[in-house]
Amino acid sequence: MMATSIIKPAVPVLLKEIESGSQFFKQGASLRVTGMLHAYSEDTAVAVIADANISFKINTVHLRDLSFRFGSYYQFIGELHILPEDVAILQARVGRIVDGLDPNLYNQSLQLRRQFESELVNS
Amino acid sequence: MNWFQAIHVKLLATDFLSLTVHNPPNYAPTFLRRGMKVWRVETVGVVVSKERTGDYLKFFVDDGTGCIPCILDVTDRSHLGLAAEVETEIALREAATVELGKLVRVRGMIMLGEEDGLHLKVRDVVVERDPNMEALHWMDCIRLARTCYDRVARPKTPALALPSYDMQASMTVSIVSC
Repeated sequence: MMATSIIKPAVPVLLKEIESGSQFFKQGASLRVTGMLHAYSEDTAVAVIADANISFKINTVHLRDLSFRFGSYYQFIGELHILPEDVAILQARVGRIVDGLDPNLYNQSLQLRRQFESELVNS
Repeated sequence: MNWFQAIHVKLLATDFLSLTVHNPPNYAPTFLRRGMKVWRVETVGVVVSKERTGDYLKFFVDDGTGCIPCILDVTDRSHLGLAAEVETEIALREAATVELGKLVRVRGMIMLGEEDGLHLKVRDVVVERDPNMEALHWMDCIRLARTCYDRVARPKTPALALPSYDMQASMTVSIVSC
């Protein structure tokens, strides 16, 4: 008997993995993205984060109690919204500052965890 | 006594949500991870949903592999004495720290809710201010699964074939070497 979780988990991905053709590039996919804040517009509530020279837009209109500091690292959880010409934006429902996050630890741990998850599924 | 009744087993949410549930009538349900009985779980993840209804705070913790429902009892039991008053105060303070977007570490007992949903009855919840604690928890879950939990479920592996073998001793060895 498997339990059902009512809320879908947001799969952590690197920004370079969100591109047309990748398994994560699906309309409505729940994703968790990490990057440094490069731009933010109060008018549109769109933030731009970047990681390893890839930038990505986040719609932050639903977020409360989050300050936007350029140069700080952020993590956003939300759903991928794919627009015409394969442009994508994340509709964020949760966001947090992750200054102090060790990117090597995070990336390597993420890869090891994905390996472990596929072992769980295949066993 | 099974050692694991007192231990908060570190599991990824996908592992927790895949636990086998034995729910015979007239008996309390039991939960197994690949043949190993589990009573308590520790999880680390981001709070993605929060709802206060009466004397309960229900929140969901997302660790990227699944969302674990957690229920914290904040019933006021101060009238039952000083210890109960302190417990109530602690529960209220912990509930106040749970906010959307925060990274939290939750320890709790596994419960089977209505509609056969697994959830955690929260023993304690603490906000993790260091964002690296999450990745370290993932590593703990993987290491413990491979070196400890998987072995407990299948004790007759070469590394544990000791001369005077018994289940209790092998679990002690597993826990010490974890």
